[in-house]
Amino acid sequence: MEALKQKAKELLQKGDVKAVLGYAVGTGNVRRPHFARTPEQVDRLVLDEKCTQNLATYLTKHEVKHLGKVAVVALPATQRALLQLVAERQLRDDAICLLAMDGTEVKVLPSGAAVEQHLALKTDAMPTADKAMIEKLMAMTREQRWAYWQQELSRCVKCYACRNSCPMCYCEHCTMDCNRPQWVPVASHALGNLEYHMVRAMHLAGRCVECGECGRACPVGIPVHLLTFFAEESTAKQFGQRAGHSTKLDYALSTFKPDDKETFIR
Amino acid sequence: MSRIGVFTCHCGENIGATVDCAKVAEMCKHVPGVAHSVDYKYMCSDPGQRMMQEAIKEHNLDGVVVAACSPRMHEPTFRRAVSNAGVNPYMCEMANLREHCSWVHEKNDATTQKAADLIRVLVEKIKHNTPLYPIKVPVTKTAMVVGGGVAGIQVALDIANGGHKVILVEKSPSIGGHMSQLSETFPTLDCSQCILTPRMVEAAQHPNITLMTYSEVEKVDGFIGNFKVTVRKKARKLDEKLCTGCGLCIQKCPNKKISDEFNEGLGTRTAIYVPFPQAVPNRPVIDTLNCTFYKTGKCKVCEKVCPTNAIRFEQEDELVTIDIGAIVLATGFKLMKTEAFPEYGYGKHKDIIDGMQFERLASASGPTAGVMKRPSDGKEPETVVFIACSGSRDRSKGVPYCSKVCCMYTAKHAMLYKHKVHSGKAYVFYMDIRAAGKDYDEFVRRAIEEDDVKYIRGRVSKIYEEDGKLIVKGADTLMGGEPVEIKADMVVLATAVQSNDRSEELAQTLHVSYDTYGFFAEAHPKLRPVETNTGGIFLAGACQAPRDIPESVAQASAAASKVLGLFSQDQLTREPIVAVVNRQAGPTYSYCVGCFLCQTACPYQAIEQEQILARNGEVIKTIARINPGLCQGCGTCVATCRTKAIDLQGFSNEQLYAEIMTL
Repeated sequence: MEALKQKAKELLQKGDVKAVLGYAVGTGNVRRPHFARTPEQVDRLVLDEKCTQNLATYLTKHEVKHLGKVAVVALPATQRALLQLVAERQLRDDAICLLAMDGTEVKVLPSGAAVEQHLALKTDAMPTADKAMIEKLMAMTREQRWAYWQQELSRCVKCYACRNSCPMCYCEHCTMDCNRPQWVPVASHALGNLEYHMVRAMHLAGRCVECGECGRACPVGIPVHLLTFFAEESTAKQFGQRAGHSTKLDYALSTFKPDDKETFIR
Repeated sequence: MSRIGVFTCHCGENIGATVDCAKVAEMCKHVPGVAHSVDYKYMCSDPGQRMMQEAIKEHNLDGVVVAACSPRMHEPTFRRAVSNAGVNPYMCEMANLREHCSWVHEKNDATTQKAADLIRVLVEKIKHNTPLYPIKVPVTKTAMVVGGGVAGIQVALDIANGGHKVILVEKSPSIGGHMSQLSETFPTLDCSQCILTPRMVEAAQHPNITLMTYSEVEKVDGFIGNFKVTVRKKARKLDEKLCTGCGLCIQKCPNKKISDEFNEGLGTRTAIYVPFPQAVPNRPVIDTLNCTFYKTGKCKVCEKVCPTNAIRFEQEDELVTIDIGAIVLATGFKLMKTEAFPEYGYGKHKDIIDGMQFERLASASGPTAGVMKRPSDGKEPETVVFIACSGSRDRSKGVPYCSKVCCMYTAKHAMLYKHKVHSGKAYVFYMDIRAAGKDYDEFVRRAIEEDDVKYIRGRVSKIYEEDGKLIVKGADTLMGGEPVEIKADMVVLATAVQSNDRSEELAQTLHVSYDTYGFFAEAHPKLRPVETNTGGIFLAGACQAPRDIPESVAQASAAASKVLGLFSQDQLTREPIVAVVNRQAGPTYSYCVGCFLCQTACPYQAIEQEQILARNGEVIKTIARINPGLCQGCGTCVATCRTKAIDLQGFSNEQLYAEIMTL
């Protein structure tokens, strides 16, 4: 922790970055994002197992972009999100400065290539609980699975917290906000909820960095992240391509390769 | 409020027999926004169109639905008619009552109701239509022909004679292609080089043709009428302007034992060489892989003997970028090698050769000066076996398609052999004789009846060597599958015609589609056989499928006429059915967030980057822009865009939504 603070202070003092984005203790002992703009503010940074939020979400916001270069305390999912954002041209490669923990050591990753290299050493592991849940859902019959999601999604109040917390949902004008024409109904009734979550899963297939932020953000506890996880895993299995592993764009849903499998066409 | 006219056509009995058109017209009168609704027996007829134009003026209509046949049939007709009456042609829509209703349903009330519904949908769409105007793009009137074989030469000559500049790019040191390697041509047995070389010379001397031999297409940007092609001029290692083609360097080159590609490995050449005596241009190249100087750093004999000091050992490849309006691909084919056949000894017997090698043996300019000598020991072969369909029509080991030319050239080979070796015996193993073409069957009959070539219908299972003879084991299926064994001195395999090396790579460079076997795909197999799906790129010759010379030449002239048609206009007019990226006032400027996932989805490379600049020149936002010259209106980008920032003109989200919600 001290090493991290030390590095953060160094970066600020040298003027390499305008702010360091990390975690601080918020009300009720939760961990909330913290922008440290001065070395003094760095002291409030914490990093422990309670810190889960994907901070990459903030980097595409106008307010943050205006700050200048920001160093980010990056968990593996955050690192993946950053790579994908560079691939989708939402961040410039030279705007990257990540503080990643490697055991107790702090590593500064100054470019997409460095992040790629750092990530290559790690294996992706979806949380076992989520993996088990997906397996359980896939073992169900089509009707049971339908009933499960009908039940879960009936609680959705369409607050769009899942969308707003997602690092890959950076569009300024979301499909959900389209009202000429209004493809997806605004009201949080069964059809509207289903349509919204289906559209969200499809928009994230091949782009989801599997941080699970959407599921954590849901105020009524719907495991919405399972939808995008499954979409991402399916794309990876079908096309051998994973989001957030490279700064080069390789989006399975908009490219064609002669050896693409077509087993999903039934 | 819209004032829409609905014109329901009976199409004679086609629609009228199952749909109650008068009732449909009556029902449509009550649809909100419809100001006029009538039915008529043939809307596409002259009186029908006149009636429509008069109604437009009389009722002051601002939109028209023609309920008739498929828009593929008559949309241009009705749009023109509407346009002549002073309404924007894109305010006219066609409801397909024929294919989508009357032809597929029985006569009853539901059918009539469906017809009315199809019209209602389009009435709603027209309410959201906006006038559209054709897109104009300029045309660079220079064509590029890729491949200098007989097809490429013909295309170049036809375009050049039509008065336009042509750049003929050929990857080898000389134009001429495979035809220059042939001895004689079927079905007339005239000498191939004698008929080709005048064309080669004509192409070289034509004021409108620029030859770029020993060059390859590296990169293609742009779109129809406006391509930017980068060509790699490979280093010949000599100054072409100074070289006179005297050939002294070739005579003196000490490295003389290099396998000769032009003679299909049956002869040798030097390290500095011209491929064949009539090569155009008659300028040698240095084969740097085999040249002693490039291998050891010593020699330079050619430089010493050159009377004009034209040798340039330090010369490097040169990249040239040229503005081009149309591209014709004529990159030809290659033959499957004898190595591909395990049952025929993997190509290790010198006397088992392929068709092109036989051409060289029979050619007066070949390694034996046209005297029939077999490659292994130079003896005159007394028995020659020709095997048709070697690799062709062979799903398990070769290619499933018919190579088309082998039946004819095998008959020709057998004939040429018999003409050269009167006492010799020629056998042909065949599956079927495919000799469809002018004088083709007569030619095969002549081989069988006059030149006594023995045709055996059956396949060869094995060839092996025994006592200096090649034992050919096959079956005669016309004799009930009786085994046949022939002791041959030489075997000629009519190996399959395949797409040329690197054709897939070239297709990807040019964004042209190709089939499983690497042959370039035409836009329509019947009606657009020389066009590709990419505007401004055309096909000629065997790069599309196996073809013989007359077909290649005919196709070449067809492609040239397409290019000349394109070049006859100063500006191209394109349908405005193209995608557009949404733009609006700041601070959003556009719904587009610039993720460019659409860029990889676009099959036509039509999506570019556009920077929105502030007054001080600072980039506010980078968004997608669709080049209307390239866009074909397929709508893939529209479906890919998450923010719905792209809309297809004429088929916008709002229009489609209105259509769906009407039902």
